[in-house]
Amino acid sequence: MFGHGKRLREDIRRWHREGWVTANGETQILQELSRRGSGVSLASALGILASVLLAFALMSFVAAHWNEMSRGFRLSLLLSLVAAGYAAAGFFETRGREIFSDAAILFALAAFGASIMLISQMFHIDGSPPDGVLAWWLGAFIAGVLLHSNAALALAMVLVVVWTGMETDFPGGVHWPFLPAWAAITAGFAWHRWTPGVYISGLALTGFVVSLGYLLGLGNWHAGVAAIGLVAIIAALVASKLAPEYDAVSAPALGFAIATVGCASIALQFFEKTTTSELILYAALTLAGLLAAIGYGLANHHRGAIWLGYIGFSIEVLSLYWKTVGTILDTSLFFLVAGLIVAGLAFMAWRLAHRFDGSNGGIERGARI
Amino acid sequence: MSKSAKYWAALAAVALLQIGFLAKMAFDRVSLIKSGREIALQVIPIDPRDIFRGEYVILGYDISQIPASKGGSENFAEDLQRRTLIYVTLKQGADGVWTAKELSRDYPKTVAPTDVVMKGYVRAAFRAGNDTFDTVAIRYGIESYFVPEGAGKALEQGVQDKKIQALVAVGSDGTAALKGLIVGGERHEDPPLL
Repeated sequence: MFGHGKRLREDIRRWHREGWVTANGETQILQELSRRGSGVSLASALGILASVLLAFALMSFVAAHWNEMSRGFRLSLLLSLVAAGYAAAGFFETRGREIFSDAAILFALAAFGASIMLISQMFHIDGSPPDGVLAWWLGAFIAGVLLHSNAALALAMVLVVVWTGMETDFPGGVHWPFLPAWAAITAGFAWHRWTPGVYISGLALTGFVVSLGYLLGLGNWHAGVAAIGLVAIIAALVASKLAPEYDAVSAPALGFAIATVGCASIALQFFEKTTTSELILYAALTLAGLLAAIGYGLANHHRGAIWLGYIGFSIEVLSLYWKTVGTILDTSLFFLVAGLIVAGLAFMAWRLAHRFDGSNGGIERGARI
Repeated sequence: MSKSAKYWAALAAVALLQIGFLAKMAFDRVSLIKSGREIALQVIPIDPRDIFRGEYVILGYDISQIPASKGGSENFAEDLQRRTLIYVTLKQGADGVWTAKELSRDYPKTVAPTDVVMKGYVRAAFRAGNDTFDTVAIRYGIESYFVPEGAGKALEQGVQDKKIQALVAVGSDGTAALKGLIVGGERHEDPPLL
């Protein structure tokens, strides 16, 4: 984030020298940038960390003195912690310290979740624990929507993932209610136009889709996952062509789609039983796909695609090594082949980079990544 | 309404909703324990302890596993899914212990005044070894008893020696709430809320 601001400042000075931005415009933009500066976001991050620590401190204090308090006092203490959190949020918000109100809301939501658990304990309620998490994420979601709190929505998404994990039975029991819950929270992010939400939603959905490979078809549904990922890649590419103004969504979506296909491909090659020819086919397709991702990333300045390509390539090569060692290939032969492949890829990457260098300065951008 | 008044209103709504939910959770239990019909169930030993929720004992019951034949037909358990709602009719024996009389998927239409109907969820339906019938494993939500610090060991020992009965309040819809334990004939109940 800091790197982005710094580069933007350099770019603005350059645009001013080139005459694309007026002197006044440059000053205005720089002022706006410094207002958004890192000081505020650091304060809000610290505020959120502090609220998490305070919530833990209070809860462990309550737990430590649990037996000394009367049951009625315990209950009212828990409820007042929730109320105190929201009151603090109102205090900060109306005094123009909006950055701390999110932290206070998170504190209230932590108290809400802990209260569900402690009240269950007080009354020996041995219901199903996922139901407690369901109530918790609903509470966080409602707070996120009514109070326009992105932090609360992010917490709701984390809790939905926890809830889904608890409700999932291996194998076969996919917890489909994840999808409407995910959609509701994602709609909340979209309504607030909160960019980090795209990444949170993308990560949660990717995890769910990848898990389908292990849950459906007696745990062998990875080809289906790969197909979903490929469709998502195509959709993201089409979307970025047709509606470039929504690049903030389609670019991360492309990255998550690539990651989905990558996870499914790893499962197909290394967790499933494969014949040698199947393995060679899958490995060749995967390496070609990763190369395409790196190439696309370089051409379109999509850093995520480049990094996923590099990381995927390393995982693929290492896994192939583990799978093939002592079987179809001798170790030294494997390294020879892998080395030749990497050398070939390096040459192709160099060619690719040079081609873009000639047209639009791709290598300069590529070098900064 | 000004912006800050709106925000306060939204805050109040969220706080009331969540506090209301928590209060309802507590008071539903309090009223169930007060008004529900009290029965005593025989406790059988199961593994104790859990890392997350402090010290507590896990209680298993005679009625945690019931032969499917009590459902009225041999294939009662055939398409029984996990987490299906199930109703167990209990009757009190001459020794005072309550045992399962009947299993059904809906709340029974007629219930003898001496019987009690308790609601549970299917954990599993299985056929063990040479059994003729399936067994249905059921959870009622009364399987954990949270104990005051230090008292766990003594209670566990009581469970091992089969000296413990659970005091359960059963509501009119079959919901069960654990009120306390009877250890060696002595009642241990939580103090009232206020």
